[in-house]
Amino acid sequence: MSFDLNFIGILIGAIMASSVPLILAASGELITERSGVLNLGVEGMMIIGAISGFALMVVTDNLFFAVIGSMLSGLIISVIFGLLTQSLLTNHVATGLALTIFGIGMSAMIGKNFVGIPGKEFPLLFVNLKESIPFLGPIFFGHSIILYFAFGLPFLTNYFLKKTKTGLIIRAVGDSPTSASNQGINVTLVRYSCILYGGAMCGLAGAYLSLIYTPQWIENMTGGRGWIALALVVFATWSPIKVLIGALIFGGITILQLHMQAVGLRIPVQLLSALPYIMTIIVLVVISRDSRKIKLNTPTSLGQIFYKEK
Amino acid sequence: MNTKLKVSEISKIYPGCIANDKISLEFGSGKIYALLGENGAGKSTLVKILSGVVKPDEGEVFLNDESIKLNSPLDAKKNNIGMVFQHFNLFETLSVFENLSIDSDKKDKDLRVIVKDILKKYSFKIDLDIPVLNLSAGQKQKVEIIRCLIRNPKILIMDEPTSVLTEQETDDLFFSLKQFSKDGILIIYITHKLKEVLSLCDEVAVMRKGKVVSVSNTIDEKIESLANKMVGENLNTIKKKINNFKNSEEILKISNLNFKSDDPYETNLNNLNLSLKKGECLGIAGISGNGQNELFQILSGEIITEGTSIMFRNKEIGKLNPRERREYLMAFSPEDRISQAAVPELKIYENVALNNFKSSNFFEKGLVNEKKIKEHSKKILSNFSVNTNNVELKSQFLSGGNLQKLIIGRELITSPELLVCFNPTWGLDVGAINYIHETLIQINEQGKSSILISTDNDELLKLSDRICVIYKGKLSKIMNANTVTAEKLGILMGGGSID
Repeated sequence: MSFDLNFIGILIGAIMASSVPLILAASGELITERSGVLNLGVEGMMIIGAISGFALMVVTDNLFFAVIGSMLSGLIISVIFGLLTQSLLTNHVATGLALTIFGIGMSAMIGKNFVGIPGKEFPLLFVNLKESIPFLGPIFFGHSIILYFAFGLPFLTNYFLKKTKTGLIIRAVGDSPTSASNQGINVTLVRYSCILYGGAMCGLAGAYLSLIYTPQWIENMTGGRGWIALALVVFATWSPIKVLIGALIFGGITILQLHMQAVGLRIPVQLLSALPYIMTIIVLVVISRDSRKIKLNTPTSLGQIFYKEK
Repeated sequence: MNTKLKVSEISKIYPGCIANDKISLEFGSGKIYALLGENGAGKSTLVKILSGVVKPDEGEVFLNDESIKLNSPLDAKKNNIGMVFQHFNLFETLSVFENLSIDSDKKDKDLRVIVKDILKKYSFKIDLDIPVLNLSAGQKQKVEIIRCLIRNPKILIMDEPTSVLTEQETDDLFFSLKQFSKDGILIIYITHKLKEVLSLCDEVAVMRKGKVVSVSNTIDEKIESLANKMVGENLNTIKKKINNFKNSEEILKISNLNFKSDDPYETNLNNLNLSLKKGECLGIAGISGNGQNELFQILSGEIITEGTSIMFRNKEIGKLNPRERREYLMAFSPEDRISQAAVPELKIYENVALNNFKSSNFFEKGLVNEKKIKEHSKKILSNFSVNTNNVELKSQFLSGGNLQKLIIGRELITSPELLVCFNPTWGLDVGAINYIHETLIQINEQGKSSILISTDNDELLKLSDRICVIYKGKLSKIMNANTVTAEKLGILMGGGSID
């Protein structure tokens, strides 16, 4: 029996690993959206993070620089979004879509020279404990530092939004930028900061994919995870903890359905592949159905352009 | 300590409009000052300048003889100028306390003590830990006031504070303001309501078209003298003859109207019954948010409720949509002119066409008959004295008054048997209000009926034949207008009972 139990532990560990990019990107986007900015460029920022992380790893042979670099590049590309939507007052949706298209094209161009280069092994923590403790070992140990960070992030985000002054200001700006501005809050600055933070987290999510999860560069390797992260934020009704739950369900069913396909169940493959999307939506809709809470959590000004009276 | 505030030669020019034209005024503490004027007179611009939201093109502000720069709301706060805006600057989804703490540099614990002291001193009753969206308008305003009081303001500016309050809440507010004034706070009170100026303020400055036209002590003024200064012409007051409709034919009967909403922002309606006679105007009073919106939407067919019977001209119309109801000669003028009654980005004639029904022939074989619509629109513009004859103009460029005239005109030009209107004169200036009121009286005289849902008691008392009050989704008993006073309405609107 102990073998089976250990196998389940390994499975759970794999599920956790697969949900990391979703948690990172969604937590970042959640902060952005809480300030009232709808950035649909998550996929684009992630893939830019993925290629720049990988490229920096190859060039510098230093994983630390690669990770920091991926976050910086996510941040830099989100500056473009900030400039357009906050300073030039363009439409959030159109700008975000353009950012995604730009990111995918740009990453493919940079990535040409990096196809087929093997990745570098990313250091994993507590590998001894992973092997010595059955079941719990593979769940809690032998992961990269980024995974531990990702699993702490939703709780930090929740605390930040609910308990800190800065979090309060972000929520206030998302609720009513006009009121916030009349209260002397610099709405543009707050929104810029949230956009940049979201960009950095998306960059990190991309780096996790190209440096740790599947350590190599493949064109379009984010494979729509950015869009899933976006959907998670909305279906989790802007609650960081529910984002974590949603990401785990999505990651879990993705892994499970792969195993089901491997076992050869007589269910159409297409249906199995669609299962994670359907289940995540159903579960999040069910746990978030309190319409009062939705009203209180939804950033009222989401996607609205704010300009100050002069 | 005495506070002296002086504005000197303030000018602010917007494209196509001089909002403030060399305004000079002086204020001193211990008094309540009224700034009186119609919409568009420039009061709000001046107030925005004093609170640092808008920068003046020219002129200076002096506080205790020192020139101060008000480049941002923060500067106003630093100079102890507190401001309560007409449209609340609150964060609906945050709790009361979060709203207060957001611009305070004090620790939460200390702030809570300060706020509790203020609540006690002025006997305000507000739960600090519920979201602001659960508060009534009066309570929201108190939150705004507390937010100012936390900073020990020397100057408190109130911008049209009573537009959303009941009589009772207004009395409370005036009581508090007088207390603040005694405590040495200089109060500047912006309004277009003449009665309030006389009952509250010590001095009054009247503004018209961006200029100050008079400054005087309120003791020397009367309602008529202030009105004439404000409008710049003599207004003839209109009065409706109240009729007896005992023998008239019943045109509308609603029985057992119930409505339950899933939306926490909406109000449930509870067993509403009402009837209306031909040529009669039924007024429905109440503080906003007590179910007026829902009632209007049910009358207009935007919401269809199960099991409700609405008999109109002996036909059951409860299941019909707004367009079908219009075909039965009902007409509707919703509260929000910009988002519900008209599409601001569309041209005037396009807005007129939105209100189509089969008989109007605006559309033929799926195509728009532009010529017909334009002719029809021109007729509305001239019949209802809208201040333009250009039907190609985008509706957003009409002033509130002209847009409302257009909407009422669009509704009335087909001679409906019943007009349902919701706050038809909200935010309009005296001239436009007079025009709308005359029009509403006229349709009653022509034997058409109307339902007037309004938060303005003076308007209701002026226009209605019978009046009832809606409170928390329930209707009071329907009373004859000549037996009703503003005080009675106030009590019912606050949930009290009379007789």
